[in-house]
Amino acid sequence: MIKEVITPVNIKFLLQGFALTLYIAFISIILSTFFGTILGVIKSLSKGILGKLVGIYIEVVRNTPLLLWILVTRFVVQMKAVNAGILAFTIFTTAIIGEIVRGGLNSINKGQWEAALSQGFNTFQTLRYIILPQAFKNMIPALLSQFITVIKDTSFLWAVGIEEVTGKSMILMGYYSKPMQVFTIYIIVALIYFIVNYLLSLIFRAKHEKLTLQGK
Amino acid sequence: MITLQNVNKHFGKLHVLKNINLEVKSGEKLVVIGPSGSGKSTLIRCMNYLEEPSSGKIIVDGVDLTAKKAPITKVRQSVAMVFQGFNLYPHKTVLENLTLAPIKIQGIPKSETEKTAMEYLDKVGLKHKANAYPAQLSGGQQQRVAIARALNMHPKVILFDEPTSALDPEMIQEVLDVMVGLSHENITMVVVTHEMGFAREVADRVIFMDEGEIIEEGTPEHFFTNPTHERTKLFLSKILR
Repeated sequence: MIKEVITPVNIKFLLQGFALTLYIAFISIILSTFFGTILGVIKSLSKGILGKLVGIYIEVVRNTPLLLWILVTRFVVQMKAVNAGILAFTIFTTAIIGEIVRGGLNSINKGQWEAALSQGFNTFQTLRYIILPQAFKNMIPALLSQFITVIKDTSFLWAVGIEEVTGKSMILMGYYSKPMQVFTIYIIVALIYFIVNYLLSLIFRAKHEKLTLQGK
Repeated sequence: MITLQNVNKHFGKLHVLKNINLEVKSGEKLVVIGPSGSGKSTLIRCMNYLEEPSSGKIIVDGVDLTAKKAPITKVRQSVAMVFQGFNLYPHKTVLENLTLAPIKIQGIPKSETEKTAMEYLDKVGLKHKANAYPAQLSGGQQQRVAIARALNMHPKVILFDEPTSALDPEMIQEVLDVMVGLSHENITMVVVTHEMGFAREVADRVIFMDEGEIIEEGTPEHFFTNPTHERTKLFLSKILR
C-alpha cells in the first residue's frame, strides 16, 4: 500500500515541485535581502519623513498575514501565479529583513561610526566598509531563521494553485487517499523541507562561527 | 592650524562649551586638562567636527568647518583622532585597520600604504601583530595600533581623547611612551588627558577647563609650580597627590 506511493515517478514529481519551491524562495530571498537592507539602513539613520514612511511600511506588513499578500498579488494585481508569489514574498520578507537590519545596525557601537568618520569616510562608505560587515555578522542567526521561514512558507502558495512541493503533494493525494498513503506523502514532503533547511542552518552556523572567531 | 572663535555647544539645556576662543599653532603640543564634565572631550571633538558646535567658528588648516558645504571629510583625512575606547575595526586585521582608509579614501596604492603601515607598526612595537585581529590584543596594544592607524593617514594633526583612561594601569606607560616619541616630530597634537606627568614632559601649553570654560592656560611650568586660579589649584592638588 505504501510501496505504491514511493515510486521513482512520484518522488520525481514531488522534487519537481520542490525545484519551484526553491526557485521562488531563492528569488524572494535575494530581492528581500537587497530591499530590506535599504529599508533597514533608512530606518536606522533617517529621523525624517523617509524613516517614518519606512516605519509605517514595516509595521503594516509585519502585522498582516502573508497569505493575504499572496491572495492580493494573485487576485487583485492579477499577476501570473509564480510572479505573484515572488512579489508577495518579497513584500513581506523585505519588511522583516528591514527590521532585522535596523536592529543589526543599532547593535554596532557608536565608536565604530566615530572612528570611520574621523578618518574621513563619508556615511555611505562607513556603512559599506565598517558598519554593515559587522552588523551582518550579528544578523546571521536572525537572517537564517527568516530564510528558512521563507522556504517553509512557500507552502502557502498551493492556495493560489502554484505547484510547488506542497501543491504537488495535494495532487498526489488525489491518487492515494488512504490515511497511511497520505501520511507517507507528508513524511516525504517533510523530509525534503527538512534536509534542505537543515543543510542551510549548518552552512550559516559554520559561517557565523568563522566570523565570530575572527572578530570576538 | 586650528582656530576656535566664540564656540558654544549646547546639549539640550546643558551649556557644555561657553564661548571658547582658542588657537592651536602648527606643530604645537597642546594638553587639555580638567575635571570630568568640564567639556574638554566636547572641545576636542569639535576640532574634527564629530560634534557640531551650536554657534561659533571652527577653522582647521585654513578651512572653515562651520561654513555651508565645508569639505569636512577632506579635512578629517588630515586630522586623525585617537579615542578612549580605541575603536579599532574588529572585523579587520591590524594591518587592514591601518590601510583601509588610505586605500579607500585617499586612493593610495595598497603596496605603498602597507609599506608605511608596517613602518608605523614597527614604531609602536607591534609589527609582529600585523595579521592579528584587534580582539587578540591587549588594551595597550590596541591603543598603540590606533595611534599607528592615525599616523598612516599622514595627518597634520592628531587629536587624543583621553587615550589612556580605559587602560589597565600597567598598560598606560606603553601608550604614553609612544605618544612621547611622537611629540618629537613636527605634528600638531591636542591631548585630553589626566596624565600630568605626560603633560609636564610633552606640552608646549596646557589649558585647564571647568564647566565649559577655559579657566587658565600657560606653560607646564606655570601650571605645576604657580597656578593662579583657585579652581586650578584645587584640581591639581587632588590629581597630583
